Amino acid sequence: MAKIRVLFENGDPERMIEFEPAKAPFQHDGKPGSVLDVLLGHGVHLEHACGGNCACTTCHVIVRSGFEQLPEAEEDELDLLDKAPGLTATSRLGCQAVIPDDVEITVVVPRFTINAA
Amino acid sequence: MEGESGKAAGRSQRVIYEATVERIVERASDTRSLFLRLPDPQRLAFRPGQFISCMLPIGGETLIRPYSIASDPEDGGLLEICLNLVPGGPGSHYLFGLGVSAALRFTGPWGTFTLDSQPDAECVFIAEGTGIAPIRPMLKRALARPSGHAVRLHYAARSAPHLLYADELAAAERACASFTFTALLGVAPAEYVEQRYVTGDNDRSRHFYICGVGEIVPQLRDLLRRAGYQRRAVQYEKW
Repeated sequence: MAKIRVLFENGDPERMIEFEPAKAPFQHDGKPGSVLDVLLGHGVHLEHACGGNCACTTCHVIVRSGFEQLPEAEEDELDLLDKAPGLTATSRLGCQAVIPDDVEITVVVPRFTINAA
Repeated sequence: MEGESGKAAGRSQRVIYEATVERIVERASDTRSLFLRLPDPQRLAFRPGQFISCMLPIGGETLIRPYSIASDPEDGGLLEICLNLVPGGPGSHYLFGLGVSAALRFTGPWGTFTLDSQPDAECVFIAEGTGIAPIRPMLKRALARPSGHAVRLHYAARSAPHLLYADELAAAERACASFTFTALLGVAPAEYVEQRYVTGDNDRSRHFYICGVGEIVPQLRDLLRRAGYQRRAVQYEKW
């Protein structure tokens, strides 16, 4: 069993999701068992304009706790994070950050994404 | 439905556009362009290379599928997306089933694989298949706002009929002395790029813009970066 606590910068109420990583995927977008997969599969919206294909930054989340327990980001993800607004040292893309079993993390969903020409 | 719940609407600044398919152009046997019109007075302001995120009602839910904008921001009227029919792919099957006058909902523009003017360096575009879609407006912008350096396009396709926009690209080459267009047919793009830009010389000042489907894109990225090109000088989008 793993847990993810979700905080929203826009003031929406926080959510706590417990899930079985072995049961992933929980829906069809993002890596199975990723933050995006878990959130969408449990009725929590997270923007993902590219469909969870690691081609944009709209599912950017800031990992407030448990960052070190996540598998390291690959180069595709790092290149995109490089362009994410509000990048922090513990930023990840929700579609790529897979949560291992027996891990509990807290993520913050930023208020802004890139949606402007 | 995606984007319409109170939660989603409260968190997002996005606008959902309701476009109409105005024209369909067959580009190859399994590849077509859809030209989308927004209701007046709406216009989508975007940067060359960006994509729209289509919201497709399939199987009782809304699937989100991104499609690069193949038209120019300066075109004004119609937005063009260019796609091929993917075997077993619900998104492309849905879009291939749309006729003229059909409705299509999308959000956007999205994406950071963009180019606003030619960088102050030789500019090399590498496209594979329908990966030409975002490259097309980027290339036009580079040629329209030149820096005095060479602009090159290497375009890999599985056959000559699948070289999309070939006439237009050839015409651009004739019209612009600084631009060269190379079709890669039956040639492994990675081998070609290695010979030309890695072992061919020691110039590492070039900027690359790569777009394609699948593993060829990270292969080219890794090849160029390992050869000494700056990380941020090797931009890419992998679909």
